[in-house]
Amino acid sequence: MKNTNFVTGSFIALTLVVILGIFFFQALNQPAHEGKTMPVDNVHLEDRVSLHYVLKNVNEASQYLESHGKSYFNERDEVPSKTIEFGKSKNLEEGSANEVTSIVVNYRGFDTLGEVTVLFISIIGLTLLMRGINNKKIREPSLILKTGTTFLSPLIVLFGIYVFVHGHLTPGGGFPGGAIIASGILLLIIGLESFQFNSVLSKSIESLAGLAFVGIALAGLFVKKSFLANFMPTGTVGYLYSAGMVALIYIVVGLKVGAELASGIAKLKEGGKND
Amino acid sequence: MYVIIISVLGITMIFAAFMAIYAKKLITAIISLGLIGLFASIIFLLLAAPDVAITEAAIGSGLSIAIYLFALRHTEGQEEK
Repeated sequence: MKNTNFVTGSFIALTLVVILGIFFFQALNQPAHEGKTMPVDNVHLEDRVSLHYVLKNVNEASQYLESHGKSYFNERDEVPSKTIEFGKSKNLEEGSANEVTSIVVNYRGFDTLGEVTVLFISIIGLTLLMRGINNKKIREPSLILKTGTTFLSPLIVLFGIYVFVHGHLTPGGGFPGGAIIASGILLLIIGLESFQFNSVLSKSIESLAGLAFVGIALAGLFVKKSFLANFMPTGTVGYLYSAGMVALIYIVVGLKVGAELASGIAKLKEGGKND
Repeated sequence: MYVIIISVLGITMIFAAFMAIYAKKLITAIISLGLIGLFASIIFLLLAAPDVAITEAAIGSGLSIAIYLFALRHTEGQEEK
């Protein structure tokens, strides 16, 4: 009986994979600008990221679309837009050069607050589940791991800090930066036996960062009468001091996510006996 | 060019997924899961989504694999024989 189930399950899985593979190749072979699938062959990276990152004056684009009734994707090159110069243009949709960031923090800031809350709740659940599970010794790290850890983990943490501080300029942001910091701390945890994870420090960083996020959002409510409104001067596109509160929020989110993920991993490694 | 690279990565990902399901040892399954995350991040980079690629490389092939490994260590000796 068990064997029959296994064969049936394998057959169904194989059929699904074949069907998915057919869809995969069909999507890849679609010519660009014809269907709604992603064009792959005719697109250059610089065409998508660098040159068009500045096509953000949504008002003009939407007026054009209303008057012509065309879809934005097909007619993107014909949408009228102001020329935007790096280091000169000001206040183009809150001034952040990375358009993903300007969407995630400006337009969907409340979503970001919710995502941070979801992560917080999942780490609380992990802490609850790990209660009463004892620490198990892991194998002693080898010489290569020890030596590599001592000089690689500071670099990894530094790169994580760079990713979330420059979140409004280059690809990245709070969540990737926090995850990179947590992976650097993971390397410390498994590579250095003398390393003790300071759970009080991580808890205080996490709580203060969460409070700061809500505080920035409430400041927007008081200054501009809207929760999470961008109330700071937005500066010039491409400079570090630009995009208003986007940079502040990403620094806060990066610290919070890094502290949360690192404390979760430390909890899994050490067991939850202390709490 | 992109089509060839993405096809090769995608086929390898499918094989790694099969390996993750049918591997005898759990550690083999976890490592092939990490391979899927790594190749997915390369595909995201080629499809001009560097934000997603960074996140996938850090979480999909780094942290989640570590979490699985720690969980496996805590459940050692309780596997179905």
